Amino acid sequence: MLRKLFLTLVMLALVSAFAVSAQDEAQYAGLDMDLSGINIKMANIGGGQYEVMYDAISIFEEATGATVEIVALLDGFSMDQKLKVDFATGAADYDVAWDHTSFVAQYTPFLLPLQDYFSEDELAPFSPAILDAATIDGNLYLIPRHADVSPIHYRKDLYEDEAIAAAYMDATGEALTVPTTLEQIDRQARFFVENGHSTLGYTLAGKEEALTGRFYEMHFASGGSLFDENYEPAFNDEIGVAVAELLASWYADGVIPSDTTSLLWDGVAQYFCNNDVAIKLEWYGWYAYFQDADSCAVAGNFGLARGFTGLSVGGDAVRPSGWAGAHAFSVPATAPNPQAGVQLIKFLSSERVAYEEALLGFLPTRGDVWDRVIADASDAENPLDRERLELARIQVGEDFKTPPLIAEWIPFSNIFYPHLQAIILGDVGAQEGLDAAAAETREMMADAGYY
Amino acid sequence: MVANSNSPLGKGAAARLVEVSRIEAGFFPFALILPAVILILLVVGFPLLYSLYVSFTPYELLKPNSLNFTVARALRNYQKLLNDDIFWRSLLNTIVFLAVTVNLSYVLSMALSQLLARVTVGQSVLRTLLMVPMMFAPILVGMQFRWFFNANVGLVNNFLISVGLIQEQGQIAWLVDVPLGMITIIIASIWMNIPVMTIILLAGTLSLPTETFEAAEVDGASGWQKFRFITFPLLAPFSYIALTIMSLDIARAFDIVRIMTDGGPARRTEMLWTYITRLAIEDTKFGLGSAMSWITVFLSVLFTLYFFRQLVKARIVR
Repeated sequence: MLRKLFLTLVMLALVSAFAVSAQDEAQYAGLDMDLSGINIKMANIGGGQYEVMYDAISIFEEATGATVEIVALLDGFSMDQKLKVDFATGAADYDVAWDHTSFVAQYTPFLLPLQDYFSEDELAPFSPAILDAATIDGNLYLIPRHADVSPIHYRKDLYEDEAIAAAYMDATGEALTVPTTLEQIDRQARFFVENGHSTLGYTLAGKEEALTGRFYEMHFASGGSLFDENYEPAFNDEIGVAVAELLASWYADGVIPSDTTSLLWDGVAQYFCNNDVAIKLEWYGWYAYFQDADSCAVAGNFGLARGFTGLSVGGDAVRPSGWAGAHAFSVPATAPNPQAGVQLIKFLSSERVAYEEALLGFLPTRGDVWDRVIADASDAENPLDRERLELARIQVGEDFKTPPLIAEWIPFSNIFYPHLQAIILGDVGAQEGLDAAAAETREMMADAGYY
Repeated sequence: MVANSNSPLGKGAAARLVEVSRIEAGFFPFALILPAVILILLVVGFPLLYSLYVSFTPYELLKPNSLNFTVARALRNYQKLLNDDIFWRSLLNTIVFLAVTVNLSYVLSMALSQLLARVTVGQSVLRTLLMVPMMFAPILVGMQFRWFFNANVGLVNNFLISVGLIQEQGQIAWLVDVPLGMITIIIASIWMNIPVMTIILLAGTLSLPTETFEAAEVDGASGWQKFRFITFPLLAPFSYIALTIMSLDIARAFDIVRIMTDGGPARRTEMLWTYITRLAIEDTKFGLGSAMSWITVFLSVLFTLYFFRQLVKARIVR
């Protein structure tokens, strides 16, 4: 009798231990519906680390009985073009589509509002700032996958060298500390280049939406706004001119690379990887690459800090930079199996899949996943692993700022960035170039019916 | 069936029969090609006419209701383009790019074809090697040359640094500076286009009559004189065909430009087709993009007509 009681107690203990451990593990979602015989089509972003997530789809297929067919794997800009053409021609016959907070405003007439498909409990873990960016005219069009925002990356050797610090003090009268303002960055970057401590002082992507976004970020960090409340262009104000002049002077003085205007994210990251750049804003997603000593000379030699505040010309309105966005999933309005598509999105954005993707270095959009990855990093060999995550969580929570959520964001960018390039290259003055961009933008916005 | 004068039907009836046969014969070939004509009209004609219609509307890809023709604004896209500085700039860039690329390609191809025509051993191997650039997709050629001319990690700058011609901090921004951006695209384009032109000119050279050259040799003509006064004029029809094909092909420059500079920076290398893509697809202004496409096609047709007139003249002279 006692033996039986003992065995029962042991069994109970084992079952409860298993239950606790199961609860402690991140959970999948979206597996609670029988989707046998349904073929879910998905058009998604592809390349490199993005595709690792799709390995988990076999679990979804096994649990629900559905099959998932990936009909497109393209980079973000190519996906944007595909979606536009497919939506226009009615060819968006897929149930799940890649989407992004920067692009979604263009697609809203062609997307299924998702608020009725997700309960409050299901949405609760996601960052409110990102859900706000995913909601247009009261409709939720995106379920976030992962977020991105940029901290300052700086070379540690430059800030730990006492001789450099002393020389900087002599030259400027201020201590050499990790910069917190755009003006400090300007002074330090110039100092490092002029005195031969670093080949380059700063870098930034110099074309397409990447350049427009970086200007937007510097402009709003300095207290500006691209458009006023009536959507009239406002970027050619005093702040905009100051930012554009700063960029032009950096180019003229060799602070930024001579091929800045042909650089996108990979080219910019390459310069920092080579240990050639003193300071820069960079997306968190490049962290694993920079820390790979086999690929990058800067591995182990860089630190991270919160985004800079803008130029003092903005007065009290200056604030931290934080141009941000989130990769996400949407359901086209023409999806043959919208409910099945929603189930797949619930699975792909679940705590478990999001956690596994966060382990690759992507920034989570869910609070529960943040807790897990920060706890995981607490005993990391490199303390920067944990600092990075804590800093990122602050930036995603407090500094996350998307571009204007208007369908004209990309057409605006295509008007704006060539003018800014012309200013940077010295082809035109800052005021003249921004005024020309504002005139073209106004015409485009008028055509779109804003005024 | 043709009736002859000995026909028992008599001359009048025979003539009528001939007439009927002609009519039948006249219709029959057309009937045979009718399915192909219908297919071509559907596949080529309809899209062309549709895009012409779209060019008169304010159609935007993501605004289906904007596909709406009104007489009042029918010509607005065309007016807008004629007042668009970027359009004129991209047209000028395309003309410069076309003129330099086609002419340099022609000179180099002519030289290569004359050298190849004189090779007696291993000519087939050389011809095969010459065709290697044709085997690459333009997008790959663009990527390759973008890497060659990359300021930071590119082959050209690293070579110049290694031989001491430039300093590490003075890297040349090949894809950015004026006129280097355009020059790098022209180099890539010439590399890709020389083989086709050379093959056409080589075929022409090998088909020239040998008697003329023998007579010239007897008269003591030098190599240059033979080329200048015999080869070059006799190759004129081949030259015009090669130039026409290459011009139309190069004028459609898109892949290489898109990959190497994407029309930038600051529109410095913007061409017609990169601008059309930007307008029609990226900015979703399909009506405006269609209007620009039609202007471009119209210019191309004029250009082709000019070249064909030159070709006819050259054949008459020959």
